Amino acid sequence: MTSLGLMALMPLIILAGGSVLVLLAGAFKPGGYLYELTTTLIVSALLWSVILPAEGVAPGLAITPFSRYFSAFLYGTGIVALLLAAGYNRRRGIVGEEYPATLLFAMTGMGIACAATDLLILFLGLESFTFAFYILVTIERGSSRGGEAGLKYLLNGTLSAAIMSMGIALVYCDRGTIKLAELASRTGTPEPLFLAGCCLILLGLAFKLSLVPAHLWTPDVYQGSPAPVTALLSTASKAASLVALLLFLPLLDSWRGTHDILWMLALLSMLVGNLAALAQGSIKRMLAWSSIAQMGYAALALVAAPAGGSQAALFYIVTYAAAGLAAFGAVSVLSDISELDTIEGYQGLGYSNPLAGAALALAMFSLAGIPPAAGFMGKFAVFSAALRGGETALAIIGILTALVAVFFYLRVVVALYMKPPAGQSVPARPLALSEVVALIIPAAVILVFGVYPQPLLDLLSQVMK
Amino acid sequence: MNGLPILSILILLPLAGCLLLLPVWHCRKSARPIALVVAVIELGLTVWLYVSWRGLSVLPTKLPGFWLLEDAPWIPAFGIRYTLGLDGISLLMVMLTAFIFCVALLVSWRAIEEKTALFLCLMLTMEAGVMGVFLALDLALFYLFWEVMLIPMFFLIGIWGHGRKLYSTIKFFLFTMVGSLLMLLAIIALHLIHAQQSGVATFGLHELLKTQIPAGTQLWLYAAFLLAFAIKFPLFPLHTWLPDAHTDAPTAGSVILAGLLLKTGSYGLIRFGYPLFPQAAQILTPLLFGLALVGILYASLVAFAQEDMKRLIAYSSIGHMGFVAIGIAAWQPVALSGSIIQMANHGVTTGALFCMVGMLDERAHTREIKAFGGLWGKMPLWSFFFLLFSITSVGLPGLNSFVGEFLILAGTMKSSPLVAALAFIGIVLTLIYMVRLVQEVVFQKERQPLDLTDLDLREVCLLAVLSLLNVWMGVHPAPLLDLIHTPVQLLLGGAP
Repeated sequence: MTSLGLMALMPLIILAGGSVLVLLAGAFKPGGYLYELTTTLIVSALLWSVILPAEGVAPGLAITPFSRYFSAFLYGTGIVALLLAAGYNRRRGIVGEEYPATLLFAMTGMGIACAATDLLILFLGLESFTFAFYILVTIERGSSRGGEAGLKYLLNGTLSAAIMSMGIALVYCDRGTIKLAELASRTGTPEPLFLAGCCLILLGLAFKLSLVPAHLWTPDVYQGSPAPVTALLSTASKAASLVALLLFLPLLDSWRGTHDILWMLALLSMLVGNLAALAQGSIKRMLAWSSIAQMGYAALALVAAPAGGSQAALFYIVTYAAAGLAAFGAVSVLSDISELDTIEGYQGLGYSNPLAGAALALAMFSLAGIPPAAGFMGKFAVFSAALRGGETALAIIGILTALVAVFFYLRVVVALYMKPPAGQSVPARPLALSEVVALIIPAAVILVFGVYPQPLLDLLSQVMK
Repeated sequence: MNGLPILSILILLPLAGCLLLLPVWHCRKSARPIALVVAVIELGLTVWLYVSWRGLSVLPTKLPGFWLLEDAPWIPAFGIRYTLGLDGISLLMVMLTAFIFCVALLVSWRAIEEKTALFLCLMLTMEAGVMGVFLALDLALFYLFWEVMLIPMFFLIGIWGHGRKLYSTIKFFLFTMVGSLLMLLAIIALHLIHAQQSGVATFGLHELLKTQIPAGTQLWLYAAFLLAFAIKFPLFPLHTWLPDAHTDAPTAGSVILAGLLLKTGSYGLIRFGYPLFPQAAQILTPLLFGLALVGILYASLVAFAQEDMKRLIAYSSIGHMGFVAIGIAAWQPVALSGSIIQMANHGVTTGALFCMVGMLDERAHTREIKAFGGLWGKMPLWSFFFLLFSITSVGLPGLNSFVGEFLILAGTMKSSPLVAALAFIGIVLTLIYMVRLVQEVVFQKERQPLDLTDLDLREVCLLAVLSLLNVWMGVHPAPLLDLIHTPVQLLLGGAP
């Protein structure tokens, strides 16, 4: 490996090495400044990715502008999730070095998935961050919900990993290579074996993105996990999986069936996600179903991939991630010793906790796609791409389900600001600096890209060349 | 004008006002004057614009009829530009907006005792949104403002409303969203059709006007626009949100809803719906006529049966806006001018009526018609103004509604005499229910002993200004008609 390659891979090395370092530091000096150290490590990985234009190719990996900027975005969500976790874990008695170390390991996996150039590395990237999530979901040892969620996630996850690896094996059997570029360059009608393999991989990815019908694990896992973990699971893990899907889709360019599969996935996810979210009384379950629907919109953009849909999908996922972080961030901050999970529990909190309440309300407006929140620009990009790609019917269904969604997002806003507090009012806990920062970053992203998304769009079209 | 981006200032000034409120967030006493000063400066700016229009006549700009333009790229990746333009119609609407917001702030001076700064902030944000709707000439920008003005109203009704406020505010929000989301798709589709034809990706109104849209597509796109505007209007049978929202909103909310938000629907139809889709609009004219007529007659009959004064006035709004719709559907210079004038008139008159019911509600804590009676003796000032605005609403000559309704009917008579004749019945019905309202509340014998004090100085001043404006617009409407003459000619495709 050349020194240039080493420079390019440095963010991944910082994260992976940092993970080990944090584990060791925890063993020698328990309760030291582990969260601070971890934050510093991720920030330095982020800065390295953004600032140094070091690019290069290693076996199975290619550090390109796309992977650099996109992994930087994922590291950013990781930082916010870590800042949220710092206070939350202290309140819940989740101590020890496992949490920050595992989070660093998850970040490494995501960085690898973004830069993969062959199917096996892609698989390894995806599975290593999923593996980290198996641990994070169950990190609260006393919680029975957490245990249930962890088991469900593990069983479903291993099944999807098995399906995906079977798919990769079939593809390799047929073509004799696992390099994405070589696989995509072949034209002509694909063979049945190859198609079978690709469909299995697609199914595995649909599980990671929780697209209907591979979505059933989502509500339970989102509800059972600690809120800062859900924050990361619903944003960074979704975004990294979407990138994996984008890297994978060129393999199926010549097959007409891809369009139909994605079409169905998008349709079902938008319908099922939004309709099921209507009936939820728990805010985390509601957000889980809504994230299923949101991934449906991303899939809607991918259906129209030839008409600029990929860029729209990535733009959408960034706006969605900001809203998801703000929403789950507010849930983490407002949950004190026990999880604040029912929507009724949020009644009147908009006044007693102005910052967290405002962040949650802003996130709801953004998820509902109402300007001037960034979610509107995201929906705008997705629906433009869909109409440009000739998917009028799907776009109309999408916009009508978005209307349904407005109702359940508004319920949260109504609870926050328009209903009297339920039960005795607890005086608001003063927020720690880390929590304030973790709420303000996503809120600022929502507002800035909601009013002026041009820089992000420019960056996306630049790195996607 | 002097190189000052005055149109942007109109939009940004209220938002800057919100920032000014932050330091005095917990101090009602200083927050109210700050918000009012901002609103008054805003009104002053619009009046200054009007005065300079009179002086300068029409400055030529890139777009005919528009004498102020501001244009800058905003989101080139989507083809969205920040284009604001002011012509006579916009100017009239912008003046109305600034004025109604001053009225709304004054009328809620005492009524809003809780979370006052938040209330004022939302009011100012809404003012920025409404200004934007009346100024935007880029369809995407228009849509953005169209949605932005919705959120503050949602909070306004939900937080400071009465009765079933949550039901009403969610209904209001969802109804509006149905129309606007489909309109968003139509806007994007129009943009794509234009891009296909000319290779230019734009949402600019004046570019899109050149698009040749196939007849079938045009009908669909127009239907989406019409749905969005008809809900705001509101046209029968899409009006059901309005009585609820008006009744449960705080007084300031009702004033703004009736005075301004309904006008955004008619404005949108005039500025975007008809010009963009002329053939489709032509085809659907009978539908618009029909819905407007049914709305006028139906709303008048329902208004007659109301027990709640606010609800009665809300239904009367549906009737009056039906006249505006008829004037637009006739698409003919006299009727269209009448509609535009009537939009301003209705804003002033109905705004005033809602203010007055609000004042009564503050004193008696009820709005039941049956609870009052004999107010002429107890509250002579209130009764005088109420009588004045009621007979305005009926359309008595010399007061403002007469001008608008007369022009609408005169213009429509030329092209569709039957429609005009049926609409006339609506005026008669209005007369019946308004006379009943006045008779029951003002002249009937006292039913319950209520301890009522008459208007104080603030309220008298407010109503006096509204009345003067009302009479002035009724007696001497020529300046307003001059103002909208050129834009109306241009809209109808004639030479200015």
